[in-house]
Amino acid sequence: MLRRAAAIAGKDLRLSVGGGQGLVQAMLLGLLLIFLFSLSRPTGELVSGQAAAAIFWLASAFGLVLVFNDLFSLEEVGGCRLGLLSSPVPEHSVWLGKGLAGFLLLVLSQMVFLPAAAVFLGQDIRGSVPTLVLALIGVDWGLAALGALLGALAQGQAARESLFSVILFPLLLPVLLGGIRIFAGVFSGEPAPDEALWAAIIVAFDAVFSAAGAFLFPFLYTGEE
Amino acid sequence: MPNIKILSILSLAALAVGQWFIWSYAPLEETMGVVQKIFYIHMPLAWWALVSFFVVFVASIRHLMKRDAGSDILAGAAAEVGVLMSGLALVSGSIWGRAAWNVWWTWDPRLTTTLIMWFVYAGYLVLRGSGMGGERRALVCAVLGVVAFLDVPLVFYSARIWRSVHPAVLASQGGGLEPEMWRTVLVNLGAFGVLWLTLVLGRFGLGRAEERARALLLGGREGA
Repeated sequence: MLRRAAAIAGKDLRLSVGGGQGLVQAMLLGLLLIFLFSLSRPTGELVSGQAAAAIFWLASAFGLVLVFNDLFSLEEVGGCRLGLLSSPVPEHSVWLGKGLAGFLLLVLSQMVFLPAAAVFLGQDIRGSVPTLVLALIGVDWGLAALGALLGALAQGQAARESLFSVILFPLLLPVLLGGIRIFAGVFSGEPAPDEALWAAIIVAFDAVFSAAGAFLFPFLYTGEE
Repeated sequence: MPNIKILSILSLAALAVGQWFIWSYAPLEETMGVVQKIFYIHMPLAWWALVSFFVVFVASIRHLMKRDAGSDILAGAAAEVGVLMSGLALVSGSIWGRAAWNVWWTWDPRLTTTLIMWFVYAGYLVLRGSGMGGERRALVCAVLGVVAFLDVPLVFYSARIWRSVHPAVLASQGGGLEPEMWRTVLVNLGAFGVLWLTLVLGRFGLGRAEERARALLLGGREGA
């Protein structure tokens, strides 16, 4: 199953990086959001660490929608989804592969958002870098697990991107709040006193939605139009 | 549907009794005065909204297991009533907040959880009406019904921690209530429960009728 998931993730990554629209769109939209939010900063004043962290994760959430819409639209052309479903690849591998590819694409786009937050929002990493990396991986895992599950909603183009974001964003709140709180501490250099609790929420979110995704994905990813 | 008629009359009577308890039986709260009486409506609305979302969760699991139309219709009916009741709970909570603490909105874990759940289930209703094909729509909605309810404890817990660092505007509601006030709360909880049951069953019956009408229409087309 893992080998097949890796094959799907590899295929999706090759298609997305080499000519796909999703990653570029996600990066551009995220950059645009960070720039636009920088306009809310009065001249000569600094953006607080928490505001910058919230803007960063908002850009990531919008990026997530575009990345997963693109990943699931790859198989909508020429009946490729039916081909994938009739191949010996179990649906769970498709979910895992899409999740893995989405996770990596999200991290790639965040490699652009992070310097953008430093430039446009005047932030610096004053706290611990390992905390930042761990929080990034933890939150992105949760985002990718739920994105890979609900991204299948767009199958058959009956549900549009706008609907996907309306459904996805409120569900992501716990993990986004965790990301914002920990990133705020890293940006400002004053770690939140309840950082361990937020880490626990992020891990719980990842666990719950990884299990739910693995269990529920086969119901969503079908041959129906 | 005679049962719905009886239930409707029963819920009207129960609500009237509930109102009598609110305005005549329960004593006037000393500090807040008459505004505190919002609580007797606000709390049952929020409580039954949460019950609705639990019904959506159970009906969605049942639909995933059995693929029956009844569970899907029940989940849709419960979600509609849940969104209505949580919406009203939010409005009444906001009026309470304005009167008690001079703010329309505050980051209270219960209020925030209710708002987020309102967003999630409003999205769920949009998905139900998105024009997706019958069986596919039911499956997609069932998956969302399960995922949405799994999120409730996480949203509540994260909203609680988020608030603990910020200064808390809100004191614990319902703490230190007089026995008469508690009785009023319980009576209204029951009254709104009857109303909830009436609305859910009524909507369920309507959903069944819609399904039958669709089947007849399709049968008629095939016969023609």
